[in-house]
Amino acid sequence: MPLIIKDEYPETLFRKDGKRLDGRDVNELRPIKMEVGVIKNADGSAYLEWGNNKIFAAVYGPREVHPHHLAKPDRGILRVFYRMATYSVFDRKRPAPGRREKEISMIISDCIEPLLFLELYPGTSFEIFIEVMDADGGTRCASTTVAALALADAGIPMKSLVSSIAVGKIDGKIVVDLSGIEDKAGNADLPIAITWYNEELSLLQFDGDMNLDELNDFLDIAKNALKDIHQIQLDALKSKYVKLQEETNKSKGKNEKKGDE
Amino acid sequence: MMDVKRIISKIERDYIVSNLKKEERIDNRDLWEYRKFQVKSDTIASAEGSADVSLGDTRIITGLKYDVGVPFPDLPDEGVCTVMAELLPLASPLFERGPPDEQSIELARVVDRGIRHADCVQTKKLCIKEKEAVYILFVDMYVINYGGNLIDAGGVSALSTLISAHIPEGIWNEEKHETEWTGKYLTGKSLVKELPLILTYGKIEDIVFLDPNLPEELVCDGKISISVTEDKITSIQKSGAATFTIDEIKMLGSKSLEIGKKLRKELNPLQYISKIE
Amino acid sequence: MEQDEESVDDEFEDFEDDEEAIRDVVVPGEVLTEDVKNFLPGRGTILNKEKNKIISLNIGLKQIKKNYINVIPLRGFYTPRPGDKVMALVVDKNPVKYKCDINAKDFGQLKPKNTIKSGRTRGFRGGGPPQDDVNTEKFDIGDILVAKILSADRLNKPELTTVGKYLGKKTGGIIISIDPPKIPRVIGRNGSMIKMLKNLTKCNIFVTQNGRVWLKGENIAHERLLIESINKISSEAHTVGLTDRMQEYIINEKKKRGIE
Repeated sequence: MPLIIKDEYPETLFRKDGKRLDGRDVNELRPIKMEVGVIKNADGSAYLEWGNNKIFAAVYGPREVHPHHLAKPDRGILRVFYRMATYSVFDRKRPAPGRREKEISMIISDCIEPLLFLELYPGTSFEIFIEVMDADGGTRCASTTVAALALADAGIPMKSLVSSIAVGKIDGKIVVDLSGIEDKAGNADLPIAITWYNEELSLLQFDGDMNLDELNDFLDIAKNALKDIHQIQLDALKSKYVKLQEETNKSKGKNEKKGDE
Repeated sequence: MMDVKRIISKIERDYIVSNLKKEERIDNRDLWEYRKFQVKSDTIASAEGSADVSLGDTRIITGLKYDVGVPFPDLPDEGVCTVMAELLPLASPLFERGPPDEQSIELARVVDRGIRHADCVQTKKLCIKEKEAVYILFVDMYVINYGGNLIDAGGVSALSTLISAHIPEGIWNEEKHETEWTGKYLTGKSLVKELPLILTYGKIEDIVFLDPNLPEELVCDGKISISVTEDKITSIQKSGAATFTIDEIKMLGSKSLEIGKKLRKELNPLQYISKIE
Repeated sequence: MEQDEESVDDEFEDFEDDEEAIRDVVVPGEVLTEDVKNFLPGRGTILNKEKNKIISLNIGLKQIKKNYINVIPLRGFYTPRPGDKVMALVVDKNPVKYKCDINAKDFGQLKPKNTIKSGRTRGFRGGGPPQDDVNTEKFDIGDILVAKILSADRLNKPELTTVGKYLGKKTGGIIISIDPPKIPRVIGRNGSMIKMLKNLTKCNIFVTQNGRVWLKGENIAHERLLIESINKISSEAHTVGLTDRMQEYIINEKKKRGIE
């Protein structure tokens, strides 16, 4: 059935002044905001705003496996459920999970599994629920990033965080952090994730065309951007605790001074 | 309170009931008091209207999408507004994955009826061309955290979403036989008239109280949801195994109108009308 | 039933020592030291693959004890250990065992032989004098039990007992849950925090390792204040001088709310 406005792409993805349509430089990230502990009922949770992407992640576990036959006697299992809200995209998405959502769930699960010590929790499951409330390009990368944060917030022992970003080529130029339009109208798209304990890649997909030199450039640029994202993750995890530490320390200092007088 | 599993302990039940009998609640409310409502509107850029509503620990994010379709034959000049609700498994260990269950269908239905029978959405304004093209509105509610009383939070959330709507205005092109965009928007200003609110009461033994929180909801015998506009009661839903006396219903009817009036003033939902013309 | 204050001391040693020093908050993957010759990886840490760094596995506080580097977790789930006292919720029962929710990944199992009333014996197989009343305690679904963990390992479900001092069914009061790693802080060094809470709020408190706190006071105003205080302790568990600050907070709040 027809929507009144059609989803259309612009002819060029750069403005006249050489910046991208949303005013960013080629290697500039969109504004990113992360927060942990947003869902009280979950064992661990995180919320992320990345440009117009708005994503919630919640972790439950270790807990009993449902259905029971999926349980493994010698190790725990990790299950990731990536879902998009019906209103998160231009055309209303059907409420039931589609093929795309299942594929992305699997990719994220594979990306995070090496971080965990699943062999220590036989017969149980860890479940990560990712809910995309608003989507604007790069949701699989954003979801991976926020899922790692939620796991850390749950206090589940893990080797390190994982950070993820998409690098791409639009109008022949290499750029980081593709927005929704750039993702659809661009020439190439390379989502990539890094596990920081060994600095190796654990998520990698590519669609488009590139030559060997470009591949090298892609990876170098991605590495720099990933470092920034990792820093934001660390700040999000720590800030809540460190702020309280500083505040209480200040008030304690005051009290001591009073005592001296 | 103790983390909530499917079975609630006897201790907790006794504690809640004995305190309710003394008109005391653990979160320091009286029997006819709401938890704190927090409403943020138009938070989702991709939706044509949205609201992020918290009621105590309960949090629901609702978005509006539209489509243009053919009207029902018996209502050729009226648009359609549907309400869907999903209890996300991320919101509570009590929620499971899979197709909608009874609880989520009840939530969607009660909210839908509260809005439908209150002369809230002006469905005639949603008509582009009689018998040919009307708007179909999808109001989709997603529960982000479950802290009891989804229905009242859902009601406010759906209402705020509809008020914050900004839907592209279409006109019918006779020659091409299709809908065209005028460049203007239909907003909550013209779409919404009455402001229905749903008030849910829990009942344990012979005590009735407003806005059950999660432990209260899990131990209560039953609930009743009454939706009211400024001066009318527009729908009632009783759920659970509790029974209510006729006097109780009469009392709740007048209480609902009174509390509804106060709450409507407090929330002032019309402030969320979209500024887009 | 009172908390056994003497027995809690050695069970919860984590947060207590050098309470006054501010500790670094660390996150998973963070390098704790590159000096692997002088330090050994302790709790919540591992050596990385090249064996030249010790990294953290948890969000927590960095602690150096002798030559071990530990990370005391700030968040996490409860892992049962033999000897732990837990608050258990009976969720299912059949003639051979009770199934109990103990806030862990597995349900705890309580067999009737582990519920013998004090001063009784279970009787002999094949006879013994017939007795009119049963020797074992009977519990129902929804009951809250204070139980001790008899055995627990990675593969088998933890086994519980209700035979012992302070163990058995709880009646009255209310139970709240907090993060299990923060339980030591509710108790405090040598039970200082819990004593202070008891004195100031005039409530009975019983704390168990699985993150559950039972409390019962004279009236709901006291209980409300205590619940808020415990939640405050839980959210400020990583800060210094907590006991003094909490004492001040409770005294102020009591004045504000006009309760004795």
